[in-house]
Amino acid sequence: METLFIEFFQNTGFALCDYRNIIMIFIGIIFIYLGIAKHYEPLLLVPIGFGMLMGNIPVFQGLGLGIYEDNSVLHYLYFGVTQGIYPPLIFLGIGAMTDFSTLLARPVLMLLGAAAQTGIFITFLGALALGFAPNEAASIGIIGGADGPTAIFLTAKLAPKLIGPIAVAAYSYMALVPVIQPPIMKLLTTRKERLIKMEELRKVSKKEKIIFPIISFLLCCFLAPAALPLLGMLCFGNLLKEAVVTERLAIAARTSIIDSVTILLGMTVGASTQGNVFLTTESIRIFILGALSFGIATACGLLFAKIMNLFLKEKINPLLGAAGVSAVPDSARVVQVVGQQEDPTNFLLMHAMAPNISGVIGSAVAAGVLWSFMS
Amino acid sequence: MYGLQAILENNGWAISAVGITIVFTGLVLLSIFISQLHKFLDLWENKKEIKKIFKKEKTKSIKRISVLFTETHKDTAQKIYLIVQTMEKSFSLSKLLWLAKTRGLERPHSNLNNLLKAGIIMPDNKGYYIWNMDMFKKIIRT
Repeated sequence: METLFIEFFQNTGFALCDYRNIIMIFIGIIFIYLGIAKHYEPLLLVPIGFGMLMGNIPVFQGLGLGIYEDNSVLHYLYFGVTQGIYPPLIFLGIGAMTDFSTLLARPVLMLLGAAAQTGIFITFLGALALGFAPNEAASIGIIGGADGPTAIFLTAKLAPKLIGPIAVAAYSYMALVPVIQPPIMKLLTTRKERLIKMEELRKVSKKEKIIFPIISFLLCCFLAPAALPLLGMLCFGNLLKEAVVTERLAIAARTSIIDSVTILLGMTVGASTQGNVFLTTESIRIFILGALSFGIATACGLLFAKIMNLFLKEKINPLLGAAGVSAVPDSARVVQVVGQQEDPTNFLLMHAMAPNISGVIGSAVAAGVLWSFMS
Repeated sequence: MYGLQAILENNGWAISAVGITIVFTGLVLLSIFISQLHKFLDLWENKKEIKKIFKKEKTKSIKRISVLFTETHKDTAQKIYLIVQTMEKSFSLSKLLWLAKTRGLERPHSNLNNLLKAGIIMPDNKGYYIWNMDMFKKIIRT
């Protein structure tokens, strides 16, 4: 009886626990706290945070419980991450809930979305310089796109072993957009620039909205075919929304499908952060590079907006450049908040949505380009 | 391998330059297309107006040709009209030409060509031709 009790105790989490599991459980609780109490991306941080708790319960290897064990339930759910299935489904939902009107009304703002993607390639160079392999460097660079699904998709294809740290870094920085971006925005713009008011947008017809997803899909995927899974689903979702006759499908895409996939994605990504796998010097370097990537992307967007102002008759508010990173719609909201701190009557949100959405397209194209170069 | 050497070794500069170029090219092309899209749609929605403009221009050009009809031409046109009256409403152009030749009309090819240009003889879009009486009265009998 005593032997049985000792054997049982040796298989409990208390006996198998490692200090790294405790650290990760603590980080998971912080994520849950930030999501619930501070409202920082709760839809992402709460599932990831709880996933961290699930992934860091010390379990006896061989029972088929851990996410990295072939026959475990968590492993099957994680299959959608490692095979890049969940990100395109999330893009389908994003497409079905996004209104491209502002982009269609002021297409020149698309360039800000392109400029912000420069951060991806600069970080790629930085990661190479720090000794990462090219495929790993590409996966780290994409964090600068501030697009969690894209980062997971590319990492699943190029460096699956880095999915945990890259996904957590990408989603953490997306959640921390209101903290990371404003200092960079204020540093790189003058008060006079922040006060610039944008002219009113023209009305966009229904036909334009229907044609846009078809044309943008064809154009971008002919140029970078590897962007097909992400852009295809994004544009398809948007077509379902705009076509009106497929409203039922659009509702499903933007509610039940994206919600289910977000739960599975967030929870399994969180669970993949097992202390012994996650807490490495490599992860710390990825976090540092991710933060740099995000900052560089924001700065590139802001600086490009200032350069554009040298040539444009009607000046644009350079704060819009910060919305070029594709954290939809958080970075657009940050632009609105920072703009209104200077002038409460300045409404930039709708204008900021244009570079924000083009950032989504740009980061998907950048991911496609990197994938095609590395594969 | 670290630093600049690692970037060079892994072709980092070229990948970044080409990558940025492709992203910019894609979004620039897309923005150019979007900026023109509403103009194309406006044009498409007003295609009937455009057709009307072309139709008006065609009528004007026919009027210009009618000025070139001399008295001799008008006389020949009257004779051709008499021949057409002996034929079906839709008639064969080659048969009309043959009848004009057998009745001894001068330069039948040229005269028929003038009538076609002036829109007095018109195709019925079924392989035959019809006589446009309105145009005939307007040009020849004025």
